[in-house]
Amino acid sequence: MNSNKKIIASLVFMCALFFSIFIYLTYFQLFKADDLVSSNYNRRLWEKEESVLRGSILDRSGLVLAESEVGDGGQKRVYPYGSLYAHVIGYNTRSYGKTNLELSFNDYLLKTESLTEIIQYGIDMDEENGGLKRGCDLVTTIDHDLMRVAASAMNGRNGAVVAIVPSTGEVVCLYSNPSFDPNEDELVESWADLSEDESSPFLPRATKGLYAPGSTFKIAVAAAALENGLGDFSVDDEGSVKIDGRAFRNAGGSEYGEIGLREGFKYSSNVFFSQLGVELGADTLKKAAEDFMVTKKIPFDIETSSPAWSYGADMSKTELAAVGIGQGKLLTTPLNMAVVAAAVANNGIMMKPYLVQSVVSPNGVSVYDAEPEAFGRVAPAVVTDALSDYMLACVESGTGANARIRGVDVAGKTGTAQNEREGRDHAWFVGFAPKEDPQIAVAVFQEYSGSSGGAACAPIARKIMQQWLEG
Amino acid sequence: MSEAKSMKPLFYIILLNAVGAALISISGGSRSAEALVLTGAICVVSIICYTVVRFAGFGDPYLFLIISMLGSVGGIMQLRIRTAYGVRQLKWFLLGTACYFLAMLVFLAMRRLLPKLAPLYVGLSVALYAATLIFGRTSHGSRNWIILGGENGLSIQPSELIRIFFVLTLAAIFTSPPAKKGKKKKTDAEKAPRPRLGPNAVRLLSASAVTAVNLGFLLLQREWGIALLFFATYFFFIYVYGASRGYLLLNAAAAVGVGALGLKYMGHIQTRVEAWLDPFADASGKGYQITQSLFAIGEGGFGGRGIGEGSVYFIPEVHSDFIFSAICEEMGILGGFAIVMLYFVLTYRGLKIALACTNRFNKAVAFGLSLMLGLQSFIIIGGVTKMIPLTGITLPFISYGGSSMLTTFAAYGILQAISAIKEETTDEL
Repeated sequence: MNSNKKIIASLVFMCALFFSIFIYLTYFQLFKADDLVSSNYNRRLWEKEESVLRGSILDRSGLVLAESEVGDGGQKRVYPYGSLYAHVIGYNTRSYGKTNLELSFNDYLLKTESLTEIIQYGIDMDEENGGLKRGCDLVTTIDHDLMRVAASAMNGRNGAVVAIVPSTGEVVCLYSNPSFDPNEDELVESWADLSEDESSPFLPRATKGLYAPGSTFKIAVAAAALENGLGDFSVDDEGSVKIDGRAFRNAGGSEYGEIGLREGFKYSSNVFFSQLGVELGADTLKKAAEDFMVTKKIPFDIETSSPAWSYGADMSKTELAAVGIGQGKLLTTPLNMAVVAAAVANNGIMMKPYLVQSVVSPNGVSVYDAEPEAFGRVAPAVVTDALSDYMLACVESGTGANARIRGVDVAGKTGTAQNEREGRDHAWFVGFAPKEDPQIAVAVFQEYSGSSGGAACAPIARKIMQQWLEG
Repeated sequence: MSEAKSMKPLFYIILLNAVGAALISISGGSRSAEALVLTGAICVVSIICYTVVRFAGFGDPYLFLIISMLGSVGGIMQLRIRTAYGVRQLKWFLLGTACYFLAMLVFLAMRRLLPKLAPLYVGLSVALYAATLIFGRTSHGSRNWIILGGENGLSIQPSELIRIFFVLTLAAIFTSPPAKKGKKKKTDAEKAPRPRLGPNAVRLLSASAVTAVNLGFLLLQREWGIALLFFATYFFFIYVYGASRGYLLLNAAAAVGVGALGLKYMGHIQTRVEAWLDPFADASGKGYQITQSLFAIGEGGFGGRGIGEGSVYFIPEVHSDFIFSAICEEMGILGGFAIVMLYFVLTYRGLKIALACTNRFNKAVAFGLSLMLGLQSFIIIGGVTKMIPLTGITLPFISYGGSSMLTTFAAYGILQAISAIKEETTDEL
């Protein structure tokens, strides 16, 4: 019967209609839902927030760096040290959302007791919390004293200070300047000014600022030379060299005569390293940068930037020479360079840096513990031993002399990176101490310093290392 | 099929109710007594009705099973939203079951008479529309409620009942024996000369006229959801019953025209369409309902937050039109898929009854009812998920509300009757 055919066609149509709901909802859930539910109009977000007293954030010794207080208008997040931790902890506001640790550990900060804990300890409704359950506390690896020393040593200059325990990857200092006050009232008041400020106070320079590493990159270049049989490469340094018509000069025009890798490194000879770069070639340089993770994004407890290596497979001689001295289209973050120094200090084993040591429930039960984890070996131990020697020489009698500490062998490398602003070079110092049993690795960076790494940054690195070693 | 095996589907209904009751008791604290009574009652009713249908030979044994499953989900969700809703929903479910078998018996008893009553259906529909317009209450922009017995009396939505009359009318028209032009004389279908185009053109035009009258009243009441449903059902009828491609196109164009006029001159429709196109343009105003619904679905993810664990009270009208969003928040879209599958299987069973049916009027009724109720589920599910613009109609057997529950039960009771008749005829053969 003809109508039966059309009834079947109607059934097929209904089948397609219902099936389209499946496709639509699956698409919605996979691609739309995540963005959508983070909308400020979603009252569920704040419902959860208001039902739990947000956990505190502590430094490694238990000092409170951020905590929530219950007031008349709900919870208030308090940052007792104001701008000092804005680029580590971030902020937690209704108006502007969350950043940094407040964002990445949000679930833990709002996590209440598990069922097993409730069975073990009973439900603890603390009256002073306004009857709210408490979320978990974050214990960070940060050392507040180091942060204070970093802040006073930087003395308001723009840049970053990163310090890492080489054997574990604990980040004990992560200082960025300029910064801002993350307390909500202050933030709301100054938001417009901060957004328009040309010094970009919202940029966490330590983790997301991208800069040419300058001569600090020579650590990776020297390692590549040692690994590729160019350990005895030498040049006659006359203060400058022309490669394909472009001149590469030493800082201050110094002439070092016939030098090898050790002297070239110690004096940070651009004449030596530009020619070494050409000798190593594109593939080896690129691999060295990747091995040391100078050009790789570091997976970290807060957001980091992807460094840049903007070259194709073919590089001209001048490009090779520029990369050999850490210039050119090569950009990285202070955190990346601190990790490089830490890897050399740790005999070539690069540890994954981390910022949160543990997450502890209100009953003191640990719900998350950071395990030191290695990215892998960046160079054979024999190579990193040699690099340590060179870095020691650089501080003992080379460009890094300002980092010397009485009675401690300090290893380091300075850097002075040219950038788009003429005469306003970035200044770098990376290093570690003590050389034989490294306890701390640092990277100090000053943006548009106009001074050399040895003059501007080495003294700050010295103060940080001294503070850590002497407590 | 062995008897043990044939009882197996009941197990799933009992399982769903047991789990639902347990979860509501855990999350809701003091509601465990209500939860046990409600789910227990649904289980008992399902077992009794299934057994009766199966062993008394009332035709398709699956219709009531699927309805019980949907009713169970509805009861659990209503109870989870508010205890009083759940308790009342249970009463509607029990009354609805009575309606189901009443409608079945009435249809079986009157099946020779029903095809001849088209004028009565139209008359009753018009009377109900008129009553709504005169005595009706306005709710959410639609004038579609009649309150009987004062402020706290019974509120009924006549358009829910008119759905059944509408399908009966169209079925009667399309299966009417050809009448001679200008004469009311009845002719014997087999002996009458069959002009090629005449009778069918008359049928199509009568169906169009009846539909136009219905749509006119519905638009006066601003019931755009039901109007869309009626039009879609009508469209399927004229498609199946021999309308030419040109006539189909003409009808589609007319519908688009009416929609466009509504969009231009009716603020109510503009709001709905704007909220559909960009709900976040006015997320605290026009787009409030739909954004809250989407947040619920998004937070539910694939697996849901768990029954009793969601924040469904943020969704406006969550117990009626937006119940599907609450289901998605607490049972995930996988739970939502299960519900959609149940509606699909229900539609499939209904159309299968229509296909197997030998009586032309019964076939048309079975086709119209199952298609209409399937479309209704799609329109409201598509609406609350922002797949299509939102038009407020109820989700059969799950949304809170007596009129919807009783009339939908009655509609499926008719389907049950038709499936029983089909078995009678095969027995006779």
